[in-house]
Amino acid sequence: MSPMITIAKREFRSYFDSPLAYVVMCLSFLALGFMFFMLRGGFWQTDRATVQKVFEFTPWGLSLLVIPVVTMRLVAEERRSGTLEMLITLPVRDSDVIGGKYLGALGLVLVLVAGTLLYPIAMFKAPWHLGPLDTGPVASGYLGLFLFSAAGVAIGLLVSSLVETQAISFFITFTLLGTLWFLDDMAEISGQGAVGNVLRYVSFQTRLAGFWRGLIDTRDVVYFLSVTAVALVTSFRALERRKWA
Amino acid sequence: MATDVMIQASSVSKRFGHVRALDKVNFEVKRGEVVGFLGPNGAGKSTTMRILTCYIAPTAGTAKVNGHDVFEEPLAVRQAIGYLPQRAPLYTDMNVMEYLKFAAEIRGLDDSVFKKRLKKVVEVCGLAQSLGKEIGTLSHGYRQRVGLGQALIHDPPILILDEPTSDLDPNEKAEVLRYIKEIGKDRTILLSTHNLAEVEEACARAIIVSKGRVVADGPLDSITSKTGRVRYVIAIDEKNAEMGKKAPGIAEVQSALGAVAGVRSTKELPTDETAHKLELIGPQDTDLRAELFRLVVQKGWTLLELRRDAQSLDAVFRDLTKGDERADRGAAWASAHAPEDDDESEGDDEDEDEKPVANAAKSAAADDEEDEDDEDSDDEDSDDEDEDEDEKQPERKG
Repeated sequence: MSPMITIAKREFRSYFDSPLAYVVMCLSFLALGFMFFMLRGGFWQTDRATVQKVFEFTPWGLSLLVIPVVTMRLVAEERRSGTLEMLITLPVRDSDVIGGKYLGALGLVLVLVAGTLLYPIAMFKAPWHLGPLDTGPVASGYLGLFLFSAAGVAIGLLVSSLVETQAISFFITFTLLGTLWFLDDMAEISGQGAVGNVLRYVSFQTRLAGFWRGLIDTRDVVYFLSVTAVALVTSFRALERRKWA
Repeated sequence: MATDVMIQASSVSKRFGHVRALDKVNFEVKRGEVVGFLGPNGAGKSTTMRILTCYIAPTAGTAKVNGHDVFEEPLAVRQAIGYLPQRAPLYTDMNVMEYLKFAAEIRGLDDSVFKKRLKKVVEVCGLAQSLGKEIGTLSHGYRQRVGLGQALIHDPPILILDEPTSDLDPNEKAEVLRYIKEIGKDRTILLSTHNLAEVEEACARAIIVSKGRVVADGPLDSITSKTGRVRYVIAIDEKNAEMGKKAPGIAEVQSALGAVAGVRSTKELPTDETAHKLELIGPQDTDLRAELFRLVVQKGWTLLELRRDAQSLDAVFRDLTKGDERADRGAAWASAHAPEDDDESEGDDEDEDEKPVANAAKSAAADDEEDEDDEDSDDEDSDDEDEDEDEKQPERKG
């Protein structure tokens, strides 16, 4: 087994050795349930049998709670406690450490995302049978959530690699992801000018909107993958800079 | 014992911003040696170990471990070493078995090899009772054992242990030390500590670093003679003298003993009111006891005690690293800010105190350091010189 996978496995398991994963899961599912059924009239007030709201609301929870909490300790806490030195002086590359931690954290986030599958199953299979499931938008919606999660976790990992404490990491990741999500609303305020266009171009919400409707735009896919790659490479560099400090 | 060089540091320097943590450190550790790496806090021990384990890179110079350059082949270096960082930082959420398994997996050990090695590690480190326990619930002593266990799990030829006995109670220290001696029988071990008793017990050789430089390197008995000085303790009865002569006063005794050829300094030691007890410092290569005895007889004093001590490692260590301690306590700052009409005699004492230290450091370092190193004892000058010399070394930057 490659060192990266070994580190990813350890990272993933460690979430379940503390109450963290359970608390985050419970809170995020509660929040999603509340938003899905209650916010803006809720699911039952909508004329259409669709789970689009799952894809609209899940990124809120991921941005403002799940990803900041899951990624805050990845490097910052290990550096503070000294375990990073122990880990890095094992025969692993820095890229194995970054990759392993990334996969471990992304694994937990994807478990949470997979948990939202309960919504389409409950709506269209059992216990409610609201008609045939339109699989296209659901599949593309989950692809969008996967890409969004991949980029979000990479950003969280980058922040954790750059700061000294997990509390600071949480707040910066929270702010960054929140801003990237709500840039779309800011774009609405700033209108159709150049600023608005730039904000819309960068906004995660704008990029995900197509996936909710079943539209997979290559530009959106490339955008999320690019953000992920840049954040991971920068995290690697941030870890490597200890050598030259 | 084979003579292969397992660890080699050649002119290794490390700067953290403007702070010079290591300054052209040179040493070698051969196969089968257990070497104590000594120095006061902040002397550069951990920095050296972090460079040897590829955690950080040197600013200049090269280091090789098991023949592999720490900069060019970090994976090969890490594969060859077992490393226990200071205070054994472990994943407290894992149990001991999981942690050892994790370390073994990363090191690419397959299950059968792991089981064999686990048996041995558990035996050597005394982990049988704690394999199923969560690391967070273990005492510091047991955590050190687990840390040692992970360092040994792949049976490495080289062990680098950074203060493995810090934070331990005396019983735990003794046990960890016993493990180190046990595992050191067939491995190369570099053991960092500032506990000199540990070094005397576990190591045949020591390297002493101070202010980022190697100030002594060699077998313990060689190091203890490095300062070129021997200490004599002499006690003269202060109440009685021979043949009805008057008992001597301390000033008379001190003056007479100080006049003996070869005696470099005298110092009164605390004692009860029956004797004058003095410490004399003499040269390494001459035994002054006969001369001192003759003087006492000639004066008609009553000799209560006369002994010659080789310098203990403890004393040598203090001598060689005293500058660090004085700097830490603000000696330079205090003297720079002292009022001009300060008590001169006190200042003189300080100076006298310093001379043997400087001489000792120079003589100790003379074997290993280049002449140019000795010249830049002045900090301001040395910074400039070192920068020039650093440029001659291959610079490494990220």
